[in-house]
Amino acid sequence: MTFLKNYGVTLLVWVVLLAVPFWFPYVGGYTGLGTRTIVMALAAMSVNFLLGFTGVLSFGHAAYLGLGAYGAGMTIKYLLPSTPLGLLIGVLAGTLGAMAIGAMIVRLRGVYFAMVTIAFGQVFYFIAFRWSSVTGGDDGLTGWKRVPLDLGFTRIDILGNDVAFYYFCLVCLAASAGIMALLLRSPFGRTLLAIRENERRARFLGISVDQHIWLSFVISAAFASLAGVLYAYLDNFVDPRAFHWQQSGEFVIMVVLGGMRSFWGPLIGAAIFEVLQDKLSSFTDNWMSLLGLFFVLVVVFFPRGVLGAFGRKPTP
Amino acid sequence: MGSHSKTSGMAKTSGMGRRTLLKAGAAVGAIQFASPFIISARGDEPIKIGVDNPLTGIYTALGKNENTGMELAASQINAKGGILGREIKLVVEDSTSDKTDVAVQKARKLIQSDNVNFLIGNVNSSHAIAIAQVAAELKTVHIVPGGHADAVTGSSCHWTTFRICNTGAMQGNAMAGPLVKALGKKIYIIAQDYAFGHALHDGLAKAAAKAGGTIVGEEFFPLGTTDYSAVLIKARAANPDILVDLAAGDDGINSIKQAVQFGLDKQLHIAGMQQELEVIEGLPLEARIGTWMFEWYWKQPNVPHVAEFVAAIRKVTNKVPTARTWFGYASVWSLALAANQAKTLDAVKVAHTLEGMKLPPEVALMPGAPFFRAEDHQLVPSVFVGHEQAKGIDDPEDLFVVDQVVNVADVMPTPAETGCKLDFPA
Repeated sequence: MTFLKNYGVTLLVWVVLLAVPFWFPYVGGYTGLGTRTIVMALAAMSVNFLLGFTGVLSFGHAAYLGLGAYGAGMTIKYLLPSTPLGLLIGVLAGTLGAMAIGAMIVRLRGVYFAMVTIAFGQVFYFIAFRWSSVTGGDDGLTGWKRVPLDLGFTRIDILGNDVAFYYFCLVCLAASAGIMALLLRSPFGRTLLAIRENERRARFLGISVDQHIWLSFVISAAFASLAGVLYAYLDNFVDPRAFHWQQSGEFVIMVVLGGMRSFWGPLIGAAIFEVLQDKLSSFTDNWMSLLGLFFVLVVVFFPRGVLGAFGRKPTP
Repeated sequence: MGSHSKTSGMAKTSGMGRRTLLKAGAAVGAIQFASPFIISARGDEPIKIGVDNPLTGIYTALGKNENTGMELAASQINAKGGILGREIKLVVEDSTSDKTDVAVQKARKLIQSDNVNFLIGNVNSSHAIAIAQVAAELKTVHIVPGGHADAVTGSSCHWTTFRICNTGAMQGNAMAGPLVKALGKKIYIIAQDYAFGHALHDGLAKAAAKAGGTIVGEEFFPLGTTDYSAVLIKARAANPDILVDLAAGDDGINSIKQAVQFGLDKQLHIAGMQQELEVIEGLPLEARIGTWMFEWYWKQPNVPHVAEFVAAIRKVTNKVPTARTWFGYASVWSLALAANQAKTLDAVKVAHTLEGMKLPPEVALMPGAPFFRAEDHQLVPSVFVGHEQAKGIDDPEDLFVVDQVVNVADVMPTPAETGCKLDFPA
């Protein structure tokens, strides 16, 4: 019973996610939407790693999504058509970017930190927008596509088979979620929670707060750039909008929507966000107003997010 | 950039009761899972055409007019027995005007979830290029009604994609001669900074050089710019004979309006290439000036079937059809004609049938016989060069005077020059 109590939610989440290709079409979904949802969920979880568990709000995580996406796309287009290499370079690009930017801004707090992250995101946006000869400018990076995975003993066609690609993304999500959960249970994770709860006390205890926040920022950005790689692979396309602050804002909305103190909250938030956007825009031209109204209602009536309303105890 | 009404807020613990929260939670949960449509059994289902066009943002008017043309075509085709005896049905999605990832997602949704047989879209050239890639990947015949970037039927062409509207090079070639001959040699170009603006710019720059003109300056501005003062001051400083404004949609309205407010029309000629009735209608009377090109115009007294088409559209919208309406109309008709001629819905066979297909007069609605060029899937039509007028003389919507009709076949680049290599599956 204790096992169920401790791992019940996690178990449920994985059963639901693993079965998406089987049940999703029956409720009006399609595999592409499912894949998009888990990719966005990964990005939102990475934002939550920083926001929910370290207490630092980044409003520019789209920068790392974009770096990952362009890193992967440009690797395949210009360097070598290899899905794993694109993934590696994409994540590396995002992580290195975050290391450099994080070092510059880690001493800022609160709204100042958020503002500067927006600014850096916009820097990348305009670089991608203006540097048309390399990035494709506003038209986006086209003329490349993800490559089927060659594992030596077998070949997985993630290009032609969208269910296979869904599971490829799910494996990435699983690995990321596992690493994030492990980190949060480690002394490092507990230290992050301590910083979130009371930064001054943590500092007096001898914790090097800035270094911890920097590391948390870099880890979070690494997962955001992994999401970016998958985001680019999903459409075989990436445009500067991936860097835009509106995209960062959407991640924050997903986190708040789902519940920012809970581990799986961002997943729920991303699912609600993506499904709602998909369905509403099919019904009415005024979908943006309705979507906005919905977010207002959620913030008013569920200040702790959808999961926050149900669960009493934040995990972990 | 885009107009958004999304709101975010930071959570704060409030004193709300747990019971209220639970109830509201259950309600929201129920909304999530209430499925609006479950795919029902197939069989003699109608033939579906997916429409992935902007219904929000700066291209709303253009997108909606294209869709009106498509609806008229669909009802006419259904009255004549549909495609292969099956009724056709349009499945319409909002691609937004500026979010390419949404347009791509919608294309996937239409093909994979709604199982459409054909795809149509998009007004935005960037969207058109991205959607074309999805259509090729999912082997669905796709028609671009009104995205003008050369790449759609050039370097990014696909075996699945056909296009109704003209490319930048076609327009540039058709327009450069009349501009340089009539208005002057020094040209300053302002254009939107994305595929469409660059396509028109490149087309005109190349053709103008051949016709003896020079480009004395150029300025690209982001899609959705509202303040053109900086752009216009720069343009005036370059002292050109002609200011060529290549912006489309609301950007076109704002830029022309501000140029006239600045008094630029008194110092130099204002002209452009592709102009649209939607834009002229949005302009104040004093800004309805200059030399432009229409890809299709509703007032063609000597061309058969045009009057019937205008009357049919007027019945629906109380307005005359625009070039966009015709793009949409011709898109759906082309698909129906090809599928009926090929007697199958098979993508490869329909695509081969479309290659070289001539549009019959009741669909072409212009002089000559437009056809899809086999090498790059580009429609080869005629275009209408002329000037704007503030008020129509015998019709309030007659805001353009056609001075000459140019047969694009005479001036368009050769297939080799477009850089298109069709990628039919082996």
